[in-house]
Amino acid sequence: MQTIICSHCDLVSQKPTLAAGYVAKCPRCERILYKNKAVNANKLFALSITALLICIPAFSSPLISIHLLGITEEANLLQGAIMMIDIAPIVSFVVLFCAVVAPVLLTLCITFSSGCVVFNKRPSLLNPVLKLTSILFHWSMLEVYLVSFMVAVFKLISYADVYFNSGLYFFVALLILNMSMLCEYSNTKYWEYLRNE
Amino acid sequence: MSDLLKPGISAMQQGRQLCKVCTMDSLISANTTHCPYCGSPISVRIKHSQQKMWALLLTAIVFIIPANLYPITYLLKNSTLYPDTIFSGIISLFDSGMIGIALIVFIASILVPILKIVALSFISLAVHFQWQFPPKKQLFAFKIVDWIGRWSVLDLFVISIMVAVFDKGNFLSVYPGIAATSFTVVVITTLFAAQSFDTRLIWDANTNAK
Repeated sequence: MQTIICSHCDLVSQKPTLAAGYVAKCPRCERILYKNKAVNANKLFALSITALLICIPAFSSPLISIHLLGITEEANLLQGAIMMIDIAPIVSFVVLFCAVVAPVLLTLCITFSSGCVVFNKRPSLLNPVLKLTSILFHWSMLEVYLVSFMVAVFKLISYADVYFNSGLYFFVALLILNMSMLCEYSNTKYWEYLRNE
Repeated sequence: MSDLLKPGISAMQQGRQLCKVCTMDSLISANTTHCPYCGSPISVRIKHSQQKMWALLLTAIVFIIPANLYPITYLLKNSTLYPDTIFSGIISLFDSGMIGIALIVFIASILVPILKIVALSFISLAVHFQWQFPPKKQLFAFKIVDWIGRWSVLDLFVISIMVAVFDKGNFLSVYPGIAATSFTVVVITTLFAAQSFDTRLIWDANTNAK
């Protein structure tokens, strides 16, 4: 009989045999105990490479342009954070980290680990990459950024004419890719792969 | 996974500890400071979980005051400075008829930080004094706080967008104020506070709970 320990309440349970796609919940705290995800590394590898490519235009192209005082000005994701560095370094650091650094690093990590699975390699770098992945999960906040963007647009409408630019479409594409990646990904399965189970 | 464990009791009572990183379990002993499978630091419960959380929560409580009292952004319009606090920003959104947006900003920047601090303090006190509240409800509250916490970053992103758009020098510019930094500290400390709390302590404190 195999047992499994709940990470939320430390209860030991019998490890259930699950069909692919099913989830086992802890009998005591009713949180997810174990997921039997069929992780498709090829799909993840393709998705994450696409996401990496999309990152470039999403972060560098202008998201919006506004027509104000007779001038049309464009703004991209990085600008605001970089402009604040002198006045409010902590704010700009957090914005840069949560909106740019963490999502890009997370995508890089998933590309690397999926690449390892696809090409059946177990380099020593895979261990720190998997550890980093589990930390970055909390800090990648693309979906929060999109909602913030909408709030900002509504605020701007009362000052000026606002037009959406190409960067926004790339950003939405990046968000969709990112979400499908995170749905597909399973840290547990990758650890199992590294341990050669 | 070990075959020796008995289902129905906690792993700690059976001398096993779980690695939060790679979800493998190992023997509790003074020599095992790192997980034998992945090499990350391991302990039966998160070390000094309550102390860390209280330190971070108290920092958040201190900084939430300037975050709400001081201006979060300055609008420079025709060489005149118009300060805006979190609350006055919400009021002006409400006045211009954008009630939905005002509500989102209100929830993300005022309600969520306060709710997080109150809920985390309550759960932590309940654990410390063994108040015997239903543990499932405590965990549920914690999970909500944990999930909703990230949405407080919303206001910081909005500031960064406004700063990027309004940069016309003396004609029309937006600058972040003191409260922006204080608010960032509140958001980050509460996020770390939630991460440093070990939910397994809830069950340790409620030994007779089912």
